[in-house]
Amino acid sequence: MKTAYIFVNIALFLLLAPLFEGIIRKLTARVQSRQGPPVYQPYLDILKLLGKETINSADNWGFKIAPVMAFASIISVIAFLPLGSRANALSGYADVITVIYLLTLGGVSILLGALSSRNTFAMIGASREMVTMIMVEPVLAMTFILGAVKVKSLGIDATVFSVGNSGYNWSVFLMLAVYLLALQAFVGRQPFDIAEAEIEILEGPLVEYSGPGYGLFKYTKMLKQMFYAALFVAVFLPGFNTGFYAADLAIQVGFIALVFVFIALIGATNPRLRIDQAIRYYSVMILLALCAVGLSAYGI
Amino acid sequence: MNAEIYGNLLTAMAVLLLSAIIVPIAAGKRKLAGWLNFIFVSAAAAIILNISLASIFAGSVGILDLGPLGLAGLAEKSPAALALGGFRIYILVDPFAAFFMAIISFMAVMSAFYSIQYMEHYPDYGLRAYYLNFPVFVAGMIGLVTFDDLSIGFTIAWQLMTVSSYFLVRFEFREKGNVRSANKYLALMELAWAMIVGATLFINGAAPGDSIHTIVQKLSQTGAAYHYVIFGLIFIGFGFKAGIFPLGQLWLPDAHSIAPSPISALLSGVMLKTGIYGIMRTFFWMVPHGEGAHFDSFLWGVVIASFGVVTLFIGTVQSMKQSDAKRLLAYSSIGQIGYIVFATGAALLMTGVESQFVRMLGLVAIIGAVYHVLNHAVFKGLLFLTSGSVLYAAGTKDLNRLGGLIKFMPVTAVVAGIASLSISGVPPFSGFASKWTIISTSILAGSEIAFLALFGIIALFTSAVTLSCYVKFFGMTFTSAGTEWTVKRDIKEVPGTMLLPKIILTAACLVQGLVPFFYISMIAGIFRNSAGSLLTAAFGSFDAATAMSAPLLGAGIRGADGTGITTAVPAVVLGIFLAALLFAWLLKRSGGSQERVAPTWLCGYQELRDSNRYKDRNMFSSLKNFLWWTGGNVKK
Repeated sequence: MKTAYIFVNIALFLLLAPLFEGIIRKLTARVQSRQGPPVYQPYLDILKLLGKETINSADNWGFKIAPVMAFASIISVIAFLPLGSRANALSGYADVITVIYLLTLGGVSILLGALSSRNTFAMIGASREMVTMIMVEPVLAMTFILGAVKVKSLGIDATVFSVGNSGYNWSVFLMLAVYLLALQAFVGRQPFDIAEAEIEILEGPLVEYSGPGYGLFKYTKMLKQMFYAALFVAVFLPGFNTGFYAADLAIQVGFIALVFVFIALIGATNPRLRIDQAIRYYSVMILLALCAVGLSAYGI
Repeated sequence: MNAEIYGNLLTAMAVLLLSAIIVPIAAGKRKLAGWLNFIFVSAAAAIILNISLASIFAGSVGILDLGPLGLAGLAEKSPAALALGGFRIYILVDPFAAFFMAIISFMAVMSAFYSIQYMEHYPDYGLRAYYLNFPVFVAGMIGLVTFDDLSIGFTIAWQLMTVSSYFLVRFEFREKGNVRSANKYLALMELAWAMIVGATLFINGAAPGDSIHTIVQKLSQTGAAYHYVIFGLIFIGFGFKAGIFPLGQLWLPDAHSIAPSPISALLSGVMLKTGIYGIMRTFFWMVPHGEGAHFDSFLWGVVIASFGVVTLFIGTVQSMKQSDAKRLLAYSSIGQIGYIVFATGAALLMTGVESQFVRMLGLVAIIGAVYHVLNHAVFKGLLFLTSGSVLYAAGTKDLNRLGGLIKFMPVTAVVAGIASLSISGVPPFSGFASKWTIISTSILAGSEIAFLALFGIIALFTSAVTLSCYVKFFGMTFTSAGTEWTVKRDIKEVPGTMLLPKIILTAACLVQGLVPFFYISMIAGIFRNSAGSLLTAAFGSFDAATAMSAPLLGAGIRGADGTGITTAVPAVVLGIFLAALLFAWLLKRSGGSQERVAPTWLCGYQELRDSNRYKDRNMFSSLKNFLWWTGGNVKK
């Protein structure tokens, strides 16, 4: 049964991630008084891109392997996520440090693709992407560490369920707030879509991509978005256990949809920051998260 | 058995010194000299590896007393010594020393083999001095980890190592500034030597030639106030060698970046570790312990761990700012040494507290420190050999001018990619296993000693910065664009003799990453069988198989009640990733899309040129500005 959870995880993410992207696009359009595409548009985009011609600007293997690696690494991360408040068969083989390091592999793949494509815009985007990764990764790590110092364990299930098992306190509320404040940066949406910045540097790292490679990168981004939303739900909204796996999953998916509404509304109403402004913002987030971990170590 | 160990060790040293006499005679024939040097060094290394593997895995310990007038007093478990004008030099080969001997001799062979072809690209420089100093340098390092005193034997080994490496560092003496950097290196290393030897003068009744065992006894009769001076001076002395902030910044980047690449690999991969060896030997062996001993392991642990954390952060951030490939690697060595020093200090303070839980984590932390010594030797050596290959093929190590080598040097590119992922700690490559051990122990201990969680978080943050250094190193050398315009010659992949050592080291990176438990149990055995340390007793009752094993040779930490607190099984991560990779590849192919090559698209009115390409100095400029206060900035 525990092995089946892994496949449910992956199937659920693959099926729903484009839908949530569609919801963001629709909501953003409505906020901006536009009609917007139908919510199933992202599915069509991916299908179409898989069949389109690839135009390769680099003619080296780095450019070709990057989208495949990016997609594979986000799928691997998702396999470890304990969705529906249940640990899956893989939880015993990795801990949160492994997951954090594995997440960086996805970022590295995007950078590899950008740097291999030899395009100046792509490299500006890669530089910004890396800076963002450096600055937001500690916030993600501290979300886990907050639980880890409380339960004296780094196991995926133990840290993710720590709030559910030991209840809320001030440090959890502080971390929850920090997570929401950093969420747009995790998922690369306005006001932190600095690395891609369509109208400024033409989607940065992805500028040279087309066809299936571009499709995989797009899909990766949707999955990553859903991963961060699902992680928020798994860590901070753990209650509502019905005892039935399908019902628990349905409740969590509902919450994830709410998180996406939040992402869309913030994204649609905030203009993009400059990278130096964003760095200052992230550093404040890091300090706040550190405070939360410190409070948690003292049991507050 | 013991007599054999020492006979063999002295034979190996003699082979190295013999090589220093014979090979320079043949230095006129450059390739021949290279091969001869390789043969001599490998012969010596084979003997040393034989001794050290026997010591590590069979736990055989020997101490040799080279007493006055020859090889007298070969006594088991009491130091053996060598006569020198009435003074004795004690030689100690325990599993801990053997571990360092193994790393030194393995990397020396790789470097010697690489030198054969690499030194061809210095046609203007004679190789006499190079092949004179190479084996002496290796012999000096072996001596430093086996001579069991802090006076005579230590001085001989330190000077052999320092003076020979000085001549190796100033190999390209006609380049502007190189001699000055090398002189600085020599002066600071002599200062470090003076501090360490000077420290022993504060010990009550210390005589030249005292073995460490004797020093410990005399230390416990020395006033407690002097301990601060003694341990402080020794820490700074070995800290100089290891490259701790701010001491490392004074000499390390200059010396490591100007030396020929095989020597840089030895300097960074191996020589820095002799400083780590000194720190570990001093703070775990050379301290008064047992009943009624007054040594504040918590205080010294905090001092060392704090230096470690500052070093790893500052060193890595400075590395990110560099545009010279070898300077980037050198600064990054400071950062990685910081991880090792941090884990050493954390282990020292954790093993000294009351809580059983934290003490157990302390044992795991010191295993992580020693594991990272091994991993760093391999991947940093590999990275220096890679940048040497780039220098050999393209004639420059300036990241602003490099770019696009992936097409011309595919093997070197793959090797560099794996080394970069290893040092950044991406699972399942080698850096992950040791960094995981270091970071997870300090975070878990943070539940009882809060500042350790902070240190752990800084270490975790720093590995993202490490990643950025190597994204830059790899990206700006092998991918991106640049050499089309900046390098006039035809760039070719380097010859097979330069690829082979890199491929062997890459394989080591993979193995060390995939089966961490093998290495962890080996290192636990090393501490258990190396008598006389603070940790010997604790490791005696520490069973790696029950405390740290995980399926498929992965690693984990279990609590006192046997439940797993944390687990990392790189083999499973690799399996999942490969399965996902296959799925992604099938998905990419599913639409039957065609592919064609077209020029880079820059909005349609420009083509990519030297003047509009993205240069290395622009990478991460916003973060560089934000972190300007960490120093090591490169002038625009």
